Amino acid sequence: MLVASLLVLRRSARLRMDTQANWSEDALSLPPGEDALFLGLGSRIFAPEDYDFVARQTSRQFHRRFRAERTALALAWLDQVRGGVGGLIRAHLRAARGNPSLRPADEIKLGFEFLVFRLMIGLLYGAVWLRGPFAAARLVGSCVDLAEELKRMSVEGLPVAGSMAAEIMNGDSEAK
Amino acid sequence: MHEKLKHEDVERAREDLQNRTLAKMPGDFARLIYLASTRDYNTGEYYHEGLAFQFGERAARKALASCHQDLFQRMIRCSMRELVEHLEVYARCTRLPCSDFIRTWDRLQPYRVTIPLDCSALAAQLFASNVRTALAILDFGQSRRPQNLQSASLRQ
Repeated sequence: MLVASLLVLRRSARLRMDTQANWSEDALSLPPGEDALFLGLGSRIFAPEDYDFVARQTSRQFHRRFRAERTALALAWLDQVRGGVGGLIRAHLRAARGNPSLRPADEIKLGFEFLVFRLMIGLLYGAVWLRGPFAAARLVGSCVDLAEELKRMSVEGLPVAGSMAAEIMNGDSEAK
Repeated sequence: MHEKLKHEDVERAREDLQNRTLAKMPGDFARLIYLASTRDYNTGEYYHEGLAFQFGERAARKALASCHQDLFQRMIRCSMRELVEHLEVYARCTRLPCSDFIRTWDRLQPYRVTIPLDCSALAAQLFASNVRTALAILDFGQSRRPQNLQSASLRQ
């Protein structure tokens, strides 16, 4: 399953390069101080009711264009969520090194949740790539919940990580 | 000289702006365009003479920025159906023929200047894509209307 996810990630990255050739690099930066809104954008980008509404109200040709636009947006969103959560975990690891108040059980749980999150992101990439963002709407809700849970765990687990995590979520990824 | 910025002043300025100005506007698109137009396009700073006179320049600026940000966030969370309704309300209040309005907006893309300065690139792209789609839906509705009328008259 892990190998399949990695393959999907690689292929999706290639597709993303094609579909977003005209996108600016800063499209992949996380908005300063707006991660709640940012995670909320996911439900809008993947909303199946928009897909149905546009299908009913426009031509088939425009509908295809709309789907392609939303696919590109969905892949960019997934990229940013993956980058944002990855940054949080890196900040957490930096703060955890040599910390005497570390709780191994919490760290194992965090590691496991992060693994599940990465798998879920991989599945989402695959689903978006194969069937478009609207077919993957249900999985997005779980992905957002998990991202928020990881954020909470990485910040609450180690108080020192809180400020670093905030830095990562607010600006670090912009420098990429 | 910087006057001291108080949270209460900003809140009062926000309230004043919402109750006296924004509430009287027909729909969220009109409000969004109005708020964006209070910005200096070179500096990105907001300015409103009346608010600045009453609450101070910094409080007014902050109130305009936060109202703009809130409204934009609300618009970006709208479903396509709601966005089309908002755009339709705005198109009607311009009193232009709908086809002219759609053509101008399609070419000039004035909605791009309504995006707040500190909004993420992804949110800006989603908004622009949604407005383009809403315009296409209005346009498609316009082109279907004569046929509908025709078929309605045929039924009679």
